[in-house]
Amino acid sequence: MISITNKPIDPASILEQVSTPESGGVDIFIGIVRNLSDGKRVQRLEYSAYVPMAEKIMAQIEHEIKEKWEAHSVALVHRIGGLSIGEIAVVTAVSAAHRKEAFEACRFAIDRIKSVVPIWKKEYFEGEVKWSAGGEG
Amino acid sequence: MIHVLVKFFGPLRDVVGCDEMRLSVSPPYTGESAFEVLSSRHTEVGLWRSSLRLAVNLEYVDFSKVLHEGDELCFVPPVSGG
Repeated sequence: MISITNKPIDPASILEQVSTPESGGVDIFIGIVRNLSDGKRVQRLEYSAYVPMAEKIMAQIEHEIKEKWEAHSVALVHRIGGLSIGEIAVVTAVSAAHRKEAFEACRFAIDRIKSVVPIWKKEYFEGEVKWSAGGEG
Repeated sequence: MIHVLVKFFGPLRDVVGCDEMRLSVSPPYTGESAFEVLSSRHTEVGLWRSSLRLAVNLEYVDFSKVLHEGDELCFVPPVSGG
């Protein structure tokens, strides 16, 4: 399940969506807007996306995960638009027969999203607005 | 001469000042040629060359990719999702 949304993300409903009777393990990663970036206080963020391409790449990531780890269900959800500190920016969730695959696949999902999906984060500090350079954020 | 549509996002959108632009490209019909047309219009864009990836019709490709009439391009600046 792939989604790029400007609505608040509900991890509980995503968890429910990926759980299957065959899955012994479900791993969920929640990415949250934090108050510090590069040592400076963040006031708020804006995410923007090349939506059709981002959806396509996220669908490829989902497919890759299902192949590599035999995941039962995968959910990749990214929010766009304005976000405040503490809001959820991204959720990745994977269900698999066992915890090893669930852990590995969920970690791969967020790492891959951060490296290839055409989504950009703009950070608002006091007196400064800056596009994030990506990498760890 | 072919015509392509280029979409802009993130910091590169701020540099060119618009969401999209039609470009006319002369032979060779490659992504690199299209980029040269763009940077001849906006010299600052040329400075971004080494940090950009090229996408054509929603897929990442090399700058040597051959373009066709009506292709949708994006010079993708460093991404920062997630």
